Amino acid sequence: MPKSLFEKVWERHVVEELPGGNALVFVDRVVAHEITTPQGALEIERRYGDELFDPARIVAINDHVSPAKDTETAIQAKLLRDWAKRHGIVLYDVGRNGICHVVAPERGYVEPGMTLACGDSHTCTLGAFGAFALGVGSTAQAGAMLAGCLVLGRPKVMRVTLDGRLSHGATAKDVALCVVAVLGFKGGTGYVIEYAGNALGTLSMDERMTLCNMAIEAGATTAMIGPDETTYSYLRGRENQPAGDAFEHKVAAWRALAADPGARYDREVRIDVGALRPMVSWGTNPGECAPIDGVVPADADGASLRYMDLAPGRALRSIAVDQAFIGSCTNSRISDLRAAAEVLRGREVSVPTIVTPGSQAVKRAAEREGLHDVFQDAGALWTHSSCGPCLGMSMGVLAPGARCISSSNRNFPGRMGAGGRVHLASPAVVAASAVLGRIASPDELGVAPLEAVAR
Amino acid sequence: MTGRIEGRDTPGTFDGGDAPGIVEGGVLPVDRANIDTDQIIPAHYLTGIETTGLGKHLFSGMTGGPELVASHPGASIVVTRENFGCGSSREHAAWSLADRGFRAVVAPSFARIFFENAYNNGIAPVVVDAGAIDALLTAPHLRIDLEAQTLEAPGGARLQFELDPLRKQFLFSGGYLAFLAGERPAVRSWERARVVPAP
Repeated sequence: MPKSLFEKVWERHVVEELPGGNALVFVDRVVAHEITTPQGALEIERRYGDELFDPARIVAINDHVSPAKDTETAIQAKLLRDWAKRHGIVLYDVGRNGICHVVAPERGYVEPGMTLACGDSHTCTLGAFGAFALGVGSTAQAGAMLAGCLVLGRPKVMRVTLDGRLSHGATAKDVALCVVAVLGFKGGTGYVIEYAGNALGTLSMDERMTLCNMAIEAGATTAMIGPDETTYSYLRGRENQPAGDAFEHKVAAWRALAADPGARYDREVRIDVGALRPMVSWGTNPGECAPIDGVVPADADGASLRYMDLAPGRALRSIAVDQAFIGSCTNSRISDLRAAAEVLRGREVSVPTIVTPGSQAVKRAAEREGLHDVFQDAGALWTHSSCGPCLGMSMGVLAPGARCISSSNRNFPGRMGAGGRVHLASPAVVAASAVLGRIASPDELGVAPLEAVAR
Repeated sequence: MTGRIEGRDTPGTFDGGDAPGIVEGGVLPVDRANIDTDQIIPAHYLTGIETTGLGKHLFSGMTGGPELVASHPGASIVVTRENFGCGSSREHAAWSLADRGFRAVVAPSFARIFFENAYNNGIAPVVVDAGAIDALLTAPHLRIDLEAQTLEAPGGARLQFELDPLRKQFLFSGGYLAFLAGERPAVRSWERARVVPAP
């Protein structure tokens, strides 16, 4: 019986079938951050003798508000720090940390075929490695720390085949937005998205992570991409991965994970990305987006338009912005920063612009290339790594009514600050918009097509 | 009968009186689809380490939310439209509902993570046909029998709904972590016998 990538990974981790189509699923890795871990850690301490199933499977990262902004967030970070130390859990803390979905893969903690849980909805990012990576609540994360397992209803599987090759300035972010627009804001609910198609072969791991990152915005359980040479090259020689023959033995096992020809899927979707243009959101969920050359659609949701203070027919390029943000678990890796820098090199931003690398390692890599000078010469703020303004917790919260063009993943009402308005786009589009003070694409500035510089 | 989630200091009782498994109470009508968890509780309230005391922030990210909650002081059942609880995984959304005394959310569909979080916090996610929501939004109060899996509005029809048979147990006894704690020996032995080498 031919099997999908998801089926292979799922079947290797089912400990027990449970009533109601549920299963007890073994969790190979838990990623724990300071916002959603403390509650479960305290619960295990109070009621289960502070006993963890296997601390070696856990990686802890202070990421959302790091360094702490106030007493409360300092207590969160301290709790994670003390807890990690007590259990001998690896901790990435102030100075060598970053966004958990950026740090975990860059440190070699994510690999094909594994199961991974984290109390963060954007954990689907890590499905780019062919892992089954699941965002869960704090209680479910605590269960994985306590018993090494999750209770999960077996999801259906949707194959999304991406044909063609990105051009016309389109990036992985634009594919991600396009997928949410095609499926709809809840169209992926109940499904794991298994990406396939010849477009994937040309995507770097950075780009694949961007693509998988937004699967949750269509409601999907997670996304997965079958591992290939790009995956193995990324992992080869990386810390926390074995060297030499031991690594190549793992690669041999990973090759068997590829979806079998003839595997059955519960739903099939095909998208030709060859004609895709940069996408920009106009509404209050990520599926409410359109090509940058377009207009706010005639059938746009009224409540979304009222919140965004827009009307149908409004050209996206005519929308003025008050702030620009390049960062978040969607687009804060080195290739994202290079793409933004290519646009900002020798130019000046006309609105407050915040550039936040996804990890301190990304920050250092960018600085070795001089990107920090490009950003700061352009008048942008170059920050330490953090989730930053993406979720309106710190470092760039929007004022009511303020409009931000952002490389992040959510444009919900109030997401980046009460009353704030968010337009989602790729890093290059954010950079071009920062220069022109309105939604703009790099080609308006005569910047070469992104695919030439992004990889 | 109590639906106390383990360790929660807030009692999540499933009784509107003496009957076990009955949620009977006022309706909080949230007449919008796609209420994301940022609207249920914005990120700047996620700075604590405990699961209690969050009720005062409930729906504070939703336009008109605080006024809506304030004008329905006795409500214990949210009625809303499709895709409730989408977006962030923050369990604070469920904690803020539970802290405010909500025991059920009635909607045509839920986002997966909120759906799981609701069960894990003594909140029944009740799925009904989208066509039934209009009438339920205007009902002053509802009676939900979790054992019989029925929902009744005053003067209205009795609706049957499905609950996840396993997660339903979490509502009534012990909760999610207690269940998993009991599974630990089975997980250990599965791990020892595991064929695929651990990463």
